[in-house]
Amino acid sequence: MRGGIGGRTAVATVFRRELATVLRTPGYGVLAVGLLALLGGIVAVGGGADTGFVPAVVDLLLVTEVVVPLVAFVIGYRALLTDAETGELAVIRTYPVSVGGYVVGVVLARGLAFLAIVVVPYALLGVAVWATAAPDTTIFATHSGIDSPLLYLRFLGLLVPFGAAYLSLATAVSAVASSRRGAVAVGVLVLAVAVLGGDLAILRSLATGTAPSTIPGLLAFTPNGAFRGLVFQGVIGVAFTPEGGFVDVGRALGSLLVWTVGGVAVSSATLAYGDRLEALLEGVRARVDE
Amino acid sequence: MAFLDPFGDRFGRVLAAVAVLVVVAGIATAGAFAADPSAATPDPVAYDDTVELGLSSETDELMAGSARVPRVQVFYSQLQYVVGYNGIESFVASVDDGRTERQFGYPLVVHVETFDGGNPGVTDDGLFEAERSTDWIPANEATYVVGSTARTPAGETVVPFSERTNAEAFAAEHGGRVHDWAAVRNRSFDVDSAATVRSMAPERWTAADRRIADAEASAAEHTGEAVVVGRDAPTIDAAVAAAPPNATVVVPPGTYEETVTVNESVTIAGDGARVRGDGNGSVLTVRAPNVTVSGLTIDGVGNETRDPETARESADGDADEGWDTNVQLGYGHGDAGIRAIGAPGLLVDDVAVETNASGVLLREGSDAVIRDLRVDGSDDWRDGFMGVIGMESRVTITDGRFEGGRDGVYLHRADGSIVRNSTFVGNRYGTHLMYTGNALIADNRFRDAEFGGITVMTRPSGNAIVGNDVRDSGAGIQASGTRSYVGYNTLVDNRLGFSTSSRGSLYEHNVAVDNEVGAHATTVVPSSRVVANDFVGNDRHAEAGAGALRIWADDDRGNHWEGADVGLHDPGERAYRPTAPVDAALHHETAAAVVRESPGAVLLDRLHGTVPGARSGSIVDPSPAPGPYAPERVAAAREPDPAPIHPEWRLELAGDDSITVSTDTMNAHDRNATDETNRTDETNGTNVMEPRRSTERSRTSFGPERRR
Repeated sequence: MRGGIGGRTAVATVFRRELATVLRTPGYGVLAVGLLALLGGIVAVGGGADTGFVPAVVDLLLVTEVVVPLVAFVIGYRALLTDAETGELAVIRTYPVSVGGYVVGVVLARGLAFLAIVVVPYALLGVAVWATAAPDTTIFATHSGIDSPLLYLRFLGLLVPFGAAYLSLATAVSAVASSRRGAVAVGVLVLAVAVLGGDLAILRSLATGTAPSTIPGLLAFTPNGAFRGLVFQGVIGVAFTPEGGFVDVGRALGSLLVWTVGGVAVSSATLAYGDRLEALLEGVRARVDE
Repeated sequence: MAFLDPFGDRFGRVLAAVAVLVVVAGIATAGAFAADPSAATPDPVAYDDTVELGLSSETDELMAGSARVPRVQVFYSQLQYVVGYNGIESFVASVDDGRTERQFGYPLVVHVETFDGGNPGVTDDGLFEAERSTDWIPANEATYVVGSTARTPAGETVVPFSERTNAEAFAAEHGGRVHDWAAVRNRSFDVDSAATVRSMAPERWTAADRRIADAEASAAEHTGEAVVVGRDAPTIDAAVAAAPPNATVVVPPGTYEETVTVNESVTIAGDGARVRGDGNGSVLTVRAPNVTVSGLTIDGVGNETRDPETARESADGDADEGWDTNVQLGYGHGDAGIRAIGAPGLLVDDVAVETNASGVLLREGSDAVIRDLRVDGSDDWRDGFMGVIGMESRVTITDGRFEGGRDGVYLHRADGSIVRNSTFVGNRYGTHLMYTGNALIADNRFRDAEFGGITVMTRPSGNAIVGNDVRDSGAGIQASGTRSYVGYNTLVDNRLGFSTSSRGSLYEHNVAVDNEVGAHATTVVPSSRVVANDFVGNDRHAEAGAGALRIWADDDRGNHWEGADVGLHDPGERAYRPTAPVDAALHHETAAAVVRESPGAVLLDRLHGTVPGARSGSIVDPSPAPGPYAPERVAAAREPDPAPIHPEWRLELAGDDSITVSTDTMNAHDRNATDETNRTDETNGTNVMEPRRSTERSRTSFGPERRR
């Protein structure tokens, strides 16, 4: 079942099949264009892009924290659900494809889609900033300050683990949900809790007397907190203070990784043992009914 | 789409290409994290290309000789412009002021100029001098002499060297101790600020009283014999020529057609007498100290407004210096009702001049007191010249009236001059200062000035412009320079209320009502404070030129902007951005408040003000005041048939050492920005109460920026 040449081929095949699904969904192209328009609009109205990368990131940060999870969910909420619903998964399972391999193949393909849909528009925006940002007046000698394309590249780099965490969560939702409508409902719930919940929990815990010195650590636990902390640490904060200290970097990176792996694990476990669990529950219910 | 078919033959290659791309991007990203952008050390630039802050470099002491102020150039993390400071103390003091870091970020690189090979020394006046600076080097590699006898016009100065031995040699000769950068940075320097200028404004007013009293006392000493024109001598000129020192020449009523030259310290006292020149040259020429001229009406002045020779020269291209020289040579040599050359102690009292050239012309140290002077100039300013023109002469003007002509009062290198309680109507500029610092322009009324009520050009330091009332003019107050205090002025119905062209300055308690533009932020790099001003009924409350975001507030104390408190928030709770389209419309259009509550607008509100140094062309007031600071003046500004408004600024400033300083800065770029017009009127009248002041000791020394 596991490892070996057969496993790798199986993952590649699932990956290809999933990519074909993505490529045949025109909505994703529209999504990318829409995202580009949204981001471009924000940067244009915010004015940050007139002067450089760091102000552009400042303008984008809040929107990114909402939009990236949302897009990740759009990309991932039906990833595993459809095959299960239509029974294709059962067919696939008759081939030598492990559940883990299947989930990994799907997540990889969806991840690539995520890169194309989200990271490419952000990257294009960066190119636009690079091309247009200039001082108001050239009368005086100018320099770019701390601002640098490197900082924007860092921001792009941080988008990937952040998106991956949400994408993985979304696939977990798609595995757990038993219907499309259910997937939407659970997805919205998870999204709301993850985007807002973590920060609200921190606020709450501070209000109840938690020491402020624990903030960098606590912040790292949720994907949003970890992402925001890393952006401050590596991108925005560089313009304010060279020292940093916005978040526990190791823990934040670890947390994003754990969310990603955790999502995949939940998906795999659900697909692998979900039936048995259901049977078990049925059994319990039957016994209770008696 | 064929090649994107995941089951096609070429898909493997596409996939491989994508994989390579992803790997490359990954490596690049890893590299982005590995690199440290803050470690970049830009090379120093030509100092002339920096935005200059700190001490003014245009003081007479500096422009005249070999004296120098050691300069610094700083690359801030959020600022796109390289900032130059005159004086290391100025830079250190500005770093101490937390606002600098908040607005510009932290200094990435600091370069100082060193004087190892420049033959550094100290002038006879105690100023630091050097033939040249040798090199720009990073500040932390230089060695500094602190506490030596070398000074700058602003006080103590720190002299940087690249070699420690040179520093030690300088210290051995001129005293002081040798320190490294860390020690210099942690020192605190007393740098004069605009707050100093504010605290001096009432003193300057008193100084004017004293000068007037002294001039009267000196005139009263002219108790020698009285020479009566008509009785003792046929003409005034003959009487003056015949009079011994300290005599009084009495001019009985009548019209005297002649020109007069005074070479003796006498008093010429008229009573209803009119002196009529022949239409050529000046009517009364004074070339002796301590002369008093009173009670005369003068006309028949020549039409030459300036020396035609130099005027021609200046028309053929002029470099900077040439320009100044030409002005001095040309402007100081036209015709005038009274012309004083090298005549200190002149008192002009109760004199009227009708002229198409200048009224009173003072040059070469003709320090003068001018009281109750009335100058009736040309109807079109292009035909006439200045009401009073003071060149290298300290002038004290009180209770004058200047109608028509080019500029009501034009002062050139006339440090310490005072213009107060006067009325200016229909000039080009009401009061116009060039290279003139430490002046006081107070409680004047300006109406219908074509270009502007008060304008200060070049970059002088320490001017106080207080309590003036400017209406119906091109601009109210446009003062460039450094460390200026612009306070308690009332600016109504002008095209522009005031500009914040002076750097490291304080603009407070001004009332801008019903102007087309209330205030204009001109300097590229903010260094002044703009606080506790009232903006009511202007078409646009404020505009900003190019440059970093200007924050117009002092901690939690902002300005009053009509319309700022509209909407769903407590007054003062929400930042006001006069340069943002929605905020600018709040006091014109009720519906703007609805737009302002949109999530988009709220979001943008939140974003503005972050990384201010990297934002461009706008103004934000984080804590707008709910009501006007000076409601009486705002109300009085709109009364029909307005009396001039004069707030009780002397009481307020004198009584209170805990006033707030504000500094906001902007710079004008055009160095000879003359722009618009104003009419003059006076301002006086209202008292301002100012319940809210905060104390703040400002050590800011941001200077203004330099224009070119």
